Amino acid sequence: MNVQVKNLRKEFGKTVAVDNISFSFGSGNVFGFVGPNGAGKTTTMRIIATLEEPTQGDVLINGVSVCEEPELARRTVGYVPDTLPAHADITVHEYLDFYARAYGLRGKKRAQAVGAIEEFTNVTGIREKNIKALSKGMKQRVSLGRALVYDPDVLILDEPAAGLDPRARVELRELLMLLAERKKAILISSHILTELTEICNGVVIIERGKILETGTIDEVLKKGASRRTVAIRLLDGQTPQLLKELLQTPHVANARIVAGEIHFELSADESAACEILGELIAKKFKIIEFRQTKANLEDIFMTVTKGGVQ
Amino acid sequence: MTTAFIRLKSHFANWRDWELNPVVVKELRQAVRSWTVTGVLLLFLTVLFIASVGFLVSQSFEGDVNEELGSTMFGTFVTILAGASILFIPLYLGIRISAERQESNPDLLYVSTLTPGQIIRGKFLCGAYITVLFFSACMPFMAFTNLLRGVDLPSVFFILFVLFLVVCSLNQAAIFLACLPLSRPFKNLIALYGFFQSFWIIVPLVFGAITMMHSGIGTMMAERNFWIGTATVVGAGLAVVGLLYALSVALISPPSANRALPLRLYITIVWVLGGLLSLGWVWWIKDVRLMFVWTYLTFALMLFALLLTVSNSDHLSRRVSRRIPRSWAGRIPAFILFNGAAGGLVWVALILALTYGVTRGVLALDGTWFPKTSSAAAEDRHWFVATTGYAFAYALTALFIHRKFLPKYAPKIAGLLTVLLMGVWAILPSIVLFFLNQLSWKAVEGLQLGNIFNVFYLRDDEHRYYHTWFALVWLAVMILINAKWFWTQVKHFRPPPLHEPPVLE
Repeated sequence: MNVQVKNLRKEFGKTVAVDNISFSFGSGNVFGFVGPNGAGKTTTMRIIATLEEPTQGDVLINGVSVCEEPELARRTVGYVPDTLPAHADITVHEYLDFYARAYGLRGKKRAQAVGAIEEFTNVTGIREKNIKALSKGMKQRVSLGRALVYDPDVLILDEPAAGLDPRARVELRELLMLLAERKKAILISSHILTELTEICNGVVIIERGKILETGTIDEVLKKGASRRTVAIRLLDGQTPQLLKELLQTPHVANARIVAGEIHFELSADESAACEILGELIAKKFKIIEFRQTKANLEDIFMTVTKGGVQ
Repeated sequence: MTTAFIRLKSHFANWRDWELNPVVVKELRQAVRSWTVTGVLLLFLTVLFIASVGFLVSQSFEGDVNEELGSTMFGTFVTILAGASILFIPLYLGIRISAERQESNPDLLYVSTLTPGQIIRGKFLCGAYITVLFFSACMPFMAFTNLLRGVDLPSVFFILFVLFLVVCSLNQAAIFLACLPLSRPFKNLIALYGFFQSFWIIVPLVFGAITMMHSGIGTMMAERNFWIGTATVVGAGLAVVGLLYALSVALISPPSANRALPLRLYITIVWVLGGLLSLGWVWWIKDVRLMFVWTYLTFALMLFALLLTVSNSDHLSRRVSRRIPRSWAGRIPAFILFNGAAGGLVWVALILALTYGVTRGVLALDGTWFPKTSSAAAEDRHWFVATTGYAFAYALTALFIHRKFLPKYAPKIAGLLTVLLMGVWAILPSIVLFFLNQLSWKAVEGLQLGNIFNVFYLRDDEHRYYHTWFALVWLAVMILINAKWFWTQVKHFRPPPLHEPPVLE
């Protein structure tokens, strides 16, 4: 199963929500979709889920166009929106049963599918509860169950972790890993970037409808490797002198004091870091800690995005 | 054709696997759990119970035998039933659908693999089931009236049948209104308006039911005319329900779908059947004037269709383009019936022209095949031509303005512009003339060329002639101005090049 987003553009009046973006992801992959609020993530996801029609471009799900054959495409896509189910007067079991019916599951097959999904999403204990009475985390599970009940090959999850407590977030992460093992192609948007780094194979960073970075997590992190951050802790009060020294050192930028330590960005490889350490020791600086931290997704996100909305 | 037949055959062969429409199951489950439905039902039963006890207690104080007690009680029960079902069920259905179809966040059921038709049918059937529930709750009380005097069973069944059809029609109307792409405050206003407007349906309905009860329908049922009349009224009602159903389906279909096709097909079929029915009535009653029922209704419907048609986008989605027939013979009807303003204009023009032609043809038989009717001859043909000409002229003008000056705005602006232009030219000169003529509306009856409504309010019939010519000249100019656009639409109406169909693994 392969999902190809091709030159997608969506306009709402004069606002360009998505501006000619292209990327692809496949089975067994969890693809992170990252961007500030108003970047066009939800619009893109809604187009993939056939809720919106693009102004230009297309999304092909194993060759099936979401514009030309939305009914066919829908059979393969499970969509978890950023809003939670708010149906009145319906229990969890009835809600899942309805969607199983809606997607054409019949008789025993339907009962088995609903039972299995209730077990998988761990909602068996609350199956007879009214949806409106559920907590946010439970509603999120039901929403995920709804998207999974007809066993789609592609999962589109829009901010599934928003508002969940730490335990629910860990459980959700485990569920997603299980789903990836089951060869689902997953596109997930989230603002909790550290979590995405742990579960995603690939990432797309988007802002103002345009893609800023895309690739596998390793590729994106590698691009950010040239922007490694170094922290130095000294034994005594030599901090101002060291700061002065560092500001004159080549490849060093943005040197500053953070909580008694000196942090700076080094735009060179590890050997340059090694040379700097040697020079500092030679100059009698009493260094008790010299550590470098590789840029994580959050650093890269902060570097490439400008926080612009439209 | 063969594929459709095979699909139909396999559908009936596997009847054991048939299941209820999922929307019906969901809606009924929700209705059963809903405090609103159970609360109203309990209130309804309580009112019925109190009414029956009240009747019986008051009767026990009277010495004489009341010959009309049964019909009086039945009339009261019908009033309560009509009130409860007409005021509550359409409102309940409408609110449910509105809540699911919020503009910003429509429920995911509308993007499941359920077809729009299945969804609307499900909602409608749910309404019908709830109606049956209310009727069956009332049934023991009504059965009791049959034990008293003054009620005949055929009248009871007939009245309940008519009431059931009315409630179902209103349910469909509520579904249609709830599907309109309007904001929540607008929908609330419509719901409020509909609620109060329902009283205007309940009052004549109940009055009619009581009259029928007293006149006794049983005797009328032996006559053939009764059944022909009933069938015509029921048929016309079903046609309206069908139209609302088709409109609702079109409204909830995705923008890329061929929304116009089922709607235009449905209206065309109903128009043909309506024409045949009217011809049948003309033949049966020997009065050519009966043809006008069909003519007027077609005229009103097609003017409404014209507004919707000019609101169509010129751009055909890829889904629609793929379904354009490759042969010329198939492409001509497809152009007329598929999405698109240009084809829609041809469709409206064809239906109106044929309606006019058939009506004139039937009127020509007045005094030859049929007995002479004085008023039929007096029917002025100019109003039809003038108003149709004006409507098309306004529509084409609006299309031109939209295309030339407001191309960035949605196509529905063209429909809105048509109404605005008509309204402005009808109201502004009248207001000016009102003040010029010392606060008198007399000038409205004078000649106001370009005012479509003026055609109906002329003092001098001769002026209608001027209207006709003015409308036709204006229309001819607009046709010339829009000719290039129309030709482009015709040229672009072709299927995309063939390629391998997509395959899902």
